[in-house]
Amino acid sequence: MIRFENLTKYYRGIKAVDDLNFQIPQGTIFGFIGPNGAGKTTTIKMMAGVLRPTSGRIYINGLDIAKEPSKTKRILGFIPDRPFLYEKLSGVEFLRFKAGLYGMKGNRIGEKTLDLLDLFELTEWADELIESYSHGMKQRLIMAAAIIHDPKIIIVDEPMVGLDPKGAKLVKEIFKELAREGATVFMSTHTLALAQEICQQIAIVDKGRIVASGTSEDLEKQAGVEGDLERIFLKITGGLESK
Amino acid sequence: MRMFKLLISPKFVGFRNGLKRPRSNIKIKIVTLIGAGILFWLVLFFLFYRVLSYFSSQEIIGDILARHLLAMVLLIFFSLLIFSHIITALSNLYLSQDLELCHSLPATLTEIFLSRCFFTVIDSSWMLLVFGLPVMMAYGFVYHAGPDYYLSLIYVSFPLIIIAASLGIMVIMVLVRFFPAQRTRDIIMFLSVILIVILYLLFRFLRPERLVNPDTFVSIAEYLSALKAPDSPYLPSHWATDLLWTRLTRYTGSQILNHLLLWSTAFAMVVIDIWMAGLIYFSGFSKAQEAKRRSRTGRRILEKIVSVITRPLGPDTTSLIAKDVRTFFRDNSQWSQLLLLGALVVVYLYNFSVLPLERSPIKSIYLQNALSFLNIGLAGFVISALSVRFIFPAVSSEGRAFWIILSSPLSLRRFLWSKYFAYLLPMLLLAEMLIIYTNYLLKVTPFMMALSTVTIFFLVLGIVALGVGLGAVYPNFGHENIAQVATGFGGLVYMIISSVFIALIIMLEAGPVYTILSAHFRGEAITHLQWVWIVGSFILVIFLNIFAVQRPMAAGLKALNGYEG
Repeated sequence: MIRFENLTKYYRGIKAVDDLNFQIPQGTIFGFIGPNGAGKTTTIKMMAGVLRPTSGRIYINGLDIAKEPSKTKRILGFIPDRPFLYEKLSGVEFLRFKAGLYGMKGNRIGEKTLDLLDLFELTEWADELIESYSHGMKQRLIMAAAIIHDPKIIIVDEPMVGLDPKGAKLVKEIFKELAREGATVFMSTHTLALAQEICQQIAIVDKGRIVASGTSEDLEKQAGVEGDLERIFLKITGGLESK
Repeated sequence: MRMFKLLISPKFVGFRNGLKRPRSNIKIKIVTLIGAGILFWLVLFFLFYRVLSYFSSQEIIGDILARHLLAMVLLIFFSLLIFSHIITALSNLYLSQDLELCHSLPATLTEIFLSRCFFTVIDSSWMLLVFGLPVMMAYGFVYHAGPDYYLSLIYVSFPLIIIAASLGIMVIMVLVRFFPAQRTRDIIMFLSVILIVILYLLFRFLRPERLVNPDTFVSIAEYLSALKAPDSPYLPSHWATDLLWTRLTRYTGSQILNHLLLWSTAFAMVVIDIWMAGLIYFSGFSKAQEAKRRSRTGRRILEKIVSVITRPLGPDTTSLIAKDVRTFFRDNSQWSQLLLLGALVVVYLYNFSVLPLERSPIKSIYLQNALSFLNIGLAGFVISALSVRFIFPAVSSEGRAFWIILSSPLSLRRFLWSKYFAYLLPMLLLAEMLIIYTNYLLKVTPFMMALSTVTIFFLVLGIVALGVGLGAVYPNFGHENIAQVATGFGGLVYMIISSVFIALIIMLEAGPVYTILSAHFRGEAITHLQWVWIVGSFILVIFLNIFAVQRPMAAGLKALNGYEG
């Protein structure tokens, strides 16, 4: 379970995240959507322990990430929006490195690495340096690395950027499977169709605050608009008037 | 021309924006940089002023030596300019991230090529101003030169830079044309070897060991002819030397040939470069964009050794160190630096092997021990020079992938100390080898051998901590090339603090060591008061070392904890 308590972040003098309070039950795929600059990536970075909140708390499965960062990060898998990796490592070396950081040892690393390379269709490129990978391949490698230690919570920022249709379908299937197995997927995205398709719960964030949340049906009611998520999103964030 | 202006404009706009929207601590940075720059200029100016004043006081030979020194200085600048242009041209013409955008614009190839050459000249030529100006000013002051000398400095520098730039760019275009795409490692390795050869030749041309031993020359004529070794009438630096020398000595004879040679060569080189670019630049750039595949040979033995040594530290630290070792040996820029610093160590050891100790008027045993003592400081500076290149960038080497460390369960304290221990062992080995070998060449007493090896051990503990800690205080995760990290503001701060640390340790030990040695050679007893002073000094040395390890690491940890991208 993920819980935010009065989460606020001032980022270089600007209030990027404004007093967030909500919780996400275990085993849910949660969509976090909002316009550019709404505070999505800042929130995600705070959840992943990459940024410190100015005030407030984030609890991951009951653990406060500020107080017990190492313990909390062990159950987290983080997939950022831009695939910056160690370009001079090969794919298999990167996965082994990541497994080592999470304290995994011995044969388990080898087996898991091979399984994930196979799952993400990277086996052929396993021994090539990451610098020769395409954007989509790097994105798939990051996803493989994020789940190598069987995390309970997966935090994803823009999962579909750079993926081809086959890769996108694969990722959707993996997220659904992880949720079925009891993991929580917290996903920020601009691809509203994706959010509508796989998220059980959605929050719309604007100017650092949650302006609407719930299931797709809940959001329809809150917006007073029937139809797809795009219309709801535009109504809530003010984009419909400007059209 | 309009497109050329547009292509170079982002650099100027970026520079202007940087000044308009200064980052935090910019004032401190500017003051420190200007302060260090002025100090460096003053030291270099007075050094050359003293040497040239001494030369000018010597009849006949004085002017010859001064002219020879000018020729030597200009030749070194010219060689360094060529090499510097080769390195920056590789990046500006073939590897920069904005090149794809440039080549997609409706600009001609010549416009793109010239705009990249412009950046290359700007990036490479600043060092001529930094290092050259105080030297040339010293010449002007000693020879009471008029304004025409200072104007001719600009007049001569311009074609000299153009020739060096054109040569450097030409070399890189040819190399990229013949090497397989993106095989920059081979190119840089090749270039490094060239530089080492140039350095070696220049060093041999200087023949320092012969100059301190005039007995090896039969006549003064032979001595003078030995001094003329590096000068050749075919070198552009020779033409520049002639032109500047006539302004310094107010020689009224015709220099028309040197004027023509310098400027016509500069123009010809630019024309040849543009012609060559039309033929081979784009094909080289296109090749450089092709994906590369790694050879599978690897460095399994080294990886196994690292794995065995780091196993007790836990899987997270082992993973981190193994990753650092792999990245280091696969990064071309690290390799080239390693070769260059290898040359530095070789020259350092070579100097000790040719010291004419037996001919010194000072009693040899005193001299050997004094030199051994100074050697601790010198070895410390060599280790600092290595550290600023390899250890200071250790934290920044994570680059934009630093999010992986931040989001992992590895604490930043553990991360920083892992970096510390990863670099400590090789640095300790190198420092001890340097000290023991040079002490062996100096044939020092067992006391000095023991003191040197223990002192350098503790010095290295501090130097490595300063490197890792200050590297974390001044991180540069957005670098395009890891070699850039050491040349930034943080690198300068590191070198200053590290030098002060070494100097303090040497100063604290110098007095007590002198007292002990004097008492030993004179057969006198050391008084109680002197013992108190000796013990007190060494206790201070221990405290200073502890401080040098603890403080920078704590400051680095604090800085990383507050890091917000």
